[in-house]
Amino acid sequence: MAGRNGSATRSKRLRKTWWGYPRENGDVGARNYLLVLSGTLYANPTCERVARTLRHSVALTHPLGRCQIGPDIQRTFETLVGHGQNANAGAVIVIDHHREEGCTADEIAHEIAKTGKRVEAINIREDGGAIDATAKATRIGMEMLRELTNERRQEVSVSKLLLGLNCGTSDTTSGLSHNKATGWVTDQVVKLGGRALLAETTEMMGGEGVLADKCVRPALGKRIWRIVEEMEERILACGVDLRGSQPTGDNMEGGLTTIEEKSLGAIQKAGSAPIVDVIPWAKRANRRSGLHVMDTPGHGGESITGIAAGGSQVLIFSTGGGHTINHPLMSTIRITGNPLSAKLQADTTDVDVTDIFEGAPIEVAGRRVYDEVIDVASGKMTKAEILHEDNAFAINRNGPSV
Amino acid sequence: MPVTAMIIEEGDNVATCLQKVAKGGSVRLMLNGKMGKTLKANQAIPYIHKICIKPLKKGEHCMKYGLSIGVASKDIKVGDYIHVHNIESARGRGDLA
Repeated sequence: MAGRNGSATRSKRLRKTWWGYPRENGDVGARNYLLVLSGTLYANPTCERVARTLRHSVALTHPLGRCQIGPDIQRTFETLVGHGQNANAGAVIVIDHHREEGCTADEIAHEIAKTGKRVEAINIREDGGAIDATAKATRIGMEMLRELTNERRQEVSVSKLLLGLNCGTSDTTSGLSHNKATGWVTDQVVKLGGRALLAETTEMMGGEGVLADKCVRPALGKRIWRIVEEMEERILACGVDLRGSQPTGDNMEGGLTTIEEKSLGAIQKAGSAPIVDVIPWAKRANRRSGLHVMDTPGHGGESITGIAAGGSQVLIFSTGGGHTINHPLMSTIRITGNPLSAKLQADTTDVDVTDIFEGAPIEVAGRRVYDEVIDVASGKMTKAEILHEDNAFAINRNGPSV
Repeated sequence: MPVTAMIIEEGDNVATCLQKVAKGGSVRLMLNGKMGKTLKANQAIPYIHKICIKPLKKGEHCMKYGLSIGVASKDIKVGDYIHVHNIESARGRGDLA
């Protein structure tokens, strides 16, 4: 069985602090990685060579950064900047290839530097080609890691946590068990002055009213209705029935009949916390305590990439079918309440909340998830983190390749 | 032994069966942790799929969580298996637009 007792409840009182790496701008990292960030697909292998050489480093690579226009290249740029700014990156090396208009390593590094962390830009052409650029980045990265690994974790308040929330491979157990346990955790984090970030606009379809009622201002409620409407319009413009894509085939196999049913289960992750902001994909969340909502697609990788760019250090991935999903930079905790999935996907399930179906109260299961969040934020590695299941860095697009 | 089926809100049309149910098998309803009446399943119901607990006429909204999860595409009786064959989404239907 996957870690039902994994996070031993070591104290009866809910922990109000965790141990992280405070940053100059007031953020706190749950990790202290050297991030090797690719500006364009042609720099990906160089980034990977550097990260393979350097212990405690993470490469983020992607197929974009070239021949994109307008809001689409802007979105790629903001996503890369957001990851560089994420507090889990202690220092950053950005590598581009030649001149990536609107998305150069210099421009990306310039934005990341505003956080106060150390960042260097490498250009493969200017730095003498793939081999010399690799050597230069490796040498700089090694010196950065000498400094990073000499830093110590410090005790900080839960108010410094921006907890990401996402579900995936949902089924009918989602709304009854793991999403409810997640909602309980959301409520505790927000009560302690922290923040949570809910996403997946497609899975708000049918639950807009419930979310709008949680908003602290009517204007935010209207924004929830609008982002869902815009998502639905994009779907309708394709001239197809959404079913089969949302709910997905595995959602339907798991008993979910319609997108409305999936949504009403998905929004249980919100708990009863007030919604204090609604932001576009990959935008940095402001510092106000409460639940923030990000406009993302239901695509798990894209959604959690948006959340990581928003600044989350740790994310609960709440899954019916079980999952391998894992963001390379933002620690991703997978939980399930589906007894069959807890067995089949034990390899990557960090917290098992199947006891909810044996009559355990939500707060008992939720407490176990909360303890895991605090432990992982403080340095405990998730199963997928240990396994290098670095599968979920996916940049959302809103324009064509040209 | 009847299979437990969880109701989320009083007034919902459906309950979620926590195990698979054979045709004619009995299903015991549970709401807020309290056991209620027992129903007979009119068809086999797969693992964690839904059973009808309040009848629906074609065109009526099917309620779960106290809210609509779609519209009945045919009349549905108590004890019927509920899924894509008799409930249709009302959202994202580009095929109908």
